[in-house]
Amino acid sequence: MNTPAWRPPLRRLTTTAMVGVVAVAVATPVLVVIWSITDPSTDVWQELWRTRLPGMLRDTLTLLVAVLAGTLVVGTALAWLITAYRFPGRRLLGWLLVTPLAMPGYVLGFVWLDAWQEPLGARQVRSIWMCTVVLTLTLYPYVYLFALAAFREQSQRPVDVARSLGCGRTGAFWRVVLPMARPSVAGGAALVTMEVLTDVGTVRLFNVSTIADGVMRVWFGTGNREAAAELSVSMIGVAVVLIAAEHLLRGRARFTQGGTHNGLAAHRLHGGRALAAAVIGWSVFAVAVALPVTRLTAWASEARRTGQTVTVAGDLGFHLASSLRVAGLATVSCLLVGALFAFAVDRRRRGQVAVARLATLGYAVPGPVVAIGVLVTLGTLDRSGWLPDGWLLIGSLAGLTYALVVRFLAVTYQGIESSIGKVSPTVRDSARTLGASRARVATQIELPLAAAGLTAAAVLVAIDTLKELPITLLLRPFGTETLPVWVWQATSESLWVEAAVPSLAIVVVGMVLVGVLLWALEHGAETVS
Amino acid sequence: MPLVASVANAVTALLVIGCSSAGTTASLPATSGTANVASSTGGTVVTVYTGRHYGIEPVFEAFTAATGITVRFIAGKDPELRERLAIEGATSPADVIMTADAANIEQSAERGLLATIDSAVLKAAIPAELRSDDGDWFSLSKRARVIIASKDRVSDPPLTYGAIGDPRWKGRLCLRPSTHPYTQSLVASMIVAEGEARAQEIVSSWVANDPLYIDSDTDIYQAVAKGDCDVAIANTYYLGRLLKANADFPVRIVWPEPDGRGAHINVSTAAVTANAPNRAGAVALIEWLATGGQKQFADVNFEYPANPTVAPDPIVASFGEFNADLAAVRRLGANQPAAVELLSRAGYK
Repeated sequence: MNTPAWRPPLRRLTTTAMVGVVAVAVATPVLVVIWSITDPSTDVWQELWRTRLPGMLRDTLTLLVAVLAGTLVVGTALAWLITAYRFPGRRLLGWLLVTPLAMPGYVLGFVWLDAWQEPLGARQVRSIWMCTVVLTLTLYPYVYLFALAAFREQSQRPVDVARSLGCGRTGAFWRVVLPMARPSVAGGAALVTMEVLTDVGTVRLFNVSTIADGVMRVWFGTGNREAAAELSVSMIGVAVVLIAAEHLLRGRARFTQGGTHNGLAAHRLHGGRALAAAVIGWSVFAVAVALPVTRLTAWASEARRTGQTVTVAGDLGFHLASSLRVAGLATVSCLLVGALFAFAVDRRRRGQVAVARLATLGYAVPGPVVAIGVLVTLGTLDRSGWLPDGWLLIGSLAGLTYALVVRFLAVTYQGIESSIGKVSPTVRDSARTLGASRARVATQIELPLAAAGLTAAAVLVAIDTLKELPITLLLRPFGTETLPVWVWQATSESLWVEAAVPSLAIVVVGMVLVGVLLWALEHGAETVS
Repeated sequence: MPLVASVANAVTALLVIGCSSAGTTASLPATSGTANVASSTGGTVVTVYTGRHYGIEPVFEAFTAATGITVRFIAGKDPELRERLAIEGATSPADVIMTADAANIEQSAERGLLATIDSAVLKAAIPAELRSDDGDWFSLSKRARVIIASKDRVSDPPLTYGAIGDPRWKGRLCLRPSTHPYTQSLVASMIVAEGEARAQEIVSSWVANDPLYIDSDTDIYQAVAKGDCDVAIANTYYLGRLLKANADFPVRIVWPEPDGRGAHINVSTAAVTANAPNRAGAVALIEWLATGGQKQFADVNFEYPANPTVAPDPIVASFGEFNADLAAVRRLGANQPAAVELLSRAGYK
C-alpha cells in the first residue's frame, strides 16, 4: 500500500460531502414543491374530490395502463422479431424502429389529429384511445431498446435446454427468454411510466384530463399554487408506488449470465414468413415516423412557399443553434452529475443511495412544476445578495441548465449506474486488492466498460432536452428561442404549416442522435464480449 | 482523486460559463445583437414579458423605428410569466408585462406586481372601462367572444349564450375546454351579468348538449365549416385570419345578447411592473402602443382597437356594429376563480 493509512477515510469524507452538496442542490426544487403540502389546502381537495379528481384518476390510470400495455407488447415483440429471426432488411429495420424516440409526442399528436380528423370525425379523434396510440408509438422505443439489449446479452444455452425439454421456439421465449429479460424490460417500462405521468402537451390535444393536466388546471385556473403542488406530490406518490410494486413482484430473483456468451441463435425466415416479419416491422415504422414525416415535409414545403420558414427571432439556423446550445449544456451537466453519483455513491450504503435517489425525483414531476420549484430556488439566491453584482440566475443559461438537470438527472444516473453495476464485483475487488485506488478503478476499469452505457445515457438525455418545452419556455434567457418554443408559438395558434419546419428539425436532429445511440450499443456489445 | 476533482472543476467551469453568458450573449429576439443585458438599466432598452405572442414582433420593431428604444422580450404563458415576475421581485429585468386577457393582469395587480402610472396620454387614449381605476393596467385591444354558426346549415342561430343550451343544439355544439382562459373569462362575465346561479344553469345546459371540446379556436371554426358541429363559441379575430385566406369561408358571426349586455369582451393588456428598471421606457412603449402604434397592434391580429379614435381593419369592420359588454371587463379577474369552480361543478370538460 503506497497511501498512508489515514487518507482514505478523509477522501471518502470529501467525496461524501461533495455528493451530498450536489444532491441537495439538485433535490431542492422538488423538495420546495413537496414542502408546500405540510399545510394542505383541504377545501380545494374537497371541491376537487367532488368534481374533477375521480375523472383525473380514471384518465391517468386508464392512459397509463393502456400505454404500458401497448409499449410492452410492441417494444418486446419487435425486439424479439429483430433478435430471434433473420429476414431481408432486418438490420436497417432494427435501427429505424428506435427512431420514434426522436418524435415528440406533441408533434405526432397534432399530425395525427389532422390526419384522422377527416376519416374518423373531429369527435372520435379526440379520445383517450387515440392518445394511447400516439403515446405508445412515441414511447415504445424505451421498452424496445431495453428488451433488445437484454435479448442480446442472453446466451443460447438456456433456450437449448428448454427446447430439449420439449418447449417450442415460442414456448422458450415465454418461459426462458422473457423472464430473464424482465428486469431490463421493467427498466424501460419505468421510463414509459414517468413520461406518461408527466406529459402535459400530448394529453391536452386529445382532451385527456390526467393528474398532470389537473395540476396546470388548478394552478393556472384558480391561481392556487399550493393545491397544484399537492396534486403533483400525489403524482410522485403514484410513481413511487408503481416502482415499489415492480421491485416487490421481481422479489429476490437475480439474473446473472454464465461465463460464455455467444448470443441467441437467430432463425432464418423464408418466403411468406419473412415477408410477414418485414411487414410487421415496417408498418410500425411507417405509422410512427415515415407517414408523419411525410406530412410534416409537405407542410414544410408549403411553409417555404409562403415564407414561413423564419421567425422574427431568426432563421432555422438560429433556432437550431439555441436548441443545440441548451441540449448540449444540459446533456454534459446531466452526465457529469450522473457520473459523480454513479461512481462516488457507495451502493452498499443505504443513506448515500437514498440521497442520490432523492436527487432524481424531478423525473417524476411535470416540467412546469419543476420550473416553478427552480424559480423559487433561484429567486431566493438572486435576492440574497450573495451573487456577484449584476448576476442573475433566473433567465441565465446556467439557471436553465440547472433546471434541466433537476428534471432529467434520473436518465443519466440510472443509465450509468446500471452499466457500471454490470461490472463484476470480482473484477473490482481484485483491482482493489492489488492496490488500485477507488478513482483508478473508476477511470481504468469501470469507465471503459461502462462507455457504451454512458453514451446511451447521454443520447437519451440529449433527446429529452431537445424535445423539452415547459421548462425552457419559462426559464430561457433572452435570445434563446429553441425549436420546441417555435413549435409552441405556432401550434398554440393552430398554425400547423408554420410548426412543420421546427418539428422536422427536432425529428432530424433526434434521428442523428438515435444513430449515435445505436452505434454506442453495438460498440458496447463488442467491448463486453 | 483525479476523477472526482475534475468533475467538480468541470461543473464549476460550466456554471461560470453559463452565468456570464447570460450577461453577454443575449442577442435580442426582435433585433438581433443590438444591445445586451448589461446596458438594460440605461434608457435604451425596454424588457417585456408577454403572454400575447403572436404577431407582436413587427409592432415592437415599429416602436424601435419610431423612438430609438429597443424592445427585448420573452413570450410565454400568462400565469407562468406572472409567477416568474413575482419570484424575481426587485431583481426582475422586466419593465412591461403584457397579457392576452383581463383576468391575468388583474391577478398581477392584486399581487402588487404592477406600478401605478399617471399618464395623461393613456387616460385620453383608453376609455375608463378599459383601464384600471388606479392606472396600473391598460387595455390595448378588444377581443369579442361570440356565437358562430354554419352559413349553410343554420338559419335561426341562438342569439344569447344561454340559448346555446337549448336541446335543439344537442350534439351540434363545439366549445373550448375549461382549461383555457377564454372559456373562464366568458363564464366570469356571465357571473357578473346574470349571477352565479343563472350562470351555473347555463353552463350545465351546455354540458347537457354533449359538446365537442376543441382546444383551438381555429379548429373550432374549421369544425363548424366541415360539419362536425353547427354552432360554437369563438373569438372573432380567428375568423379575420380565415377570411383573409378564403373570403368564402362558410361560417358567420352571430352577435350575442344584442338587446342585453352585449357580446363578451376580453382585452389584451399592458402594464408597467412594480420594479421596472426602465420605467420611463416602459411608459413610452405603452403610450405608443395606445396611440401611434395602436392601429398596427390591433390590425396585426384582427382585433378591435381599444382606442376609440382608431378604426379597425376593414375585414374586422365588415363583421358589423355590435353591442359590447364593456361593463364586465374590469371584473373578470375577481370572478375567474368562481368561474373555474363553476365549470368543474357543471362537469364541463
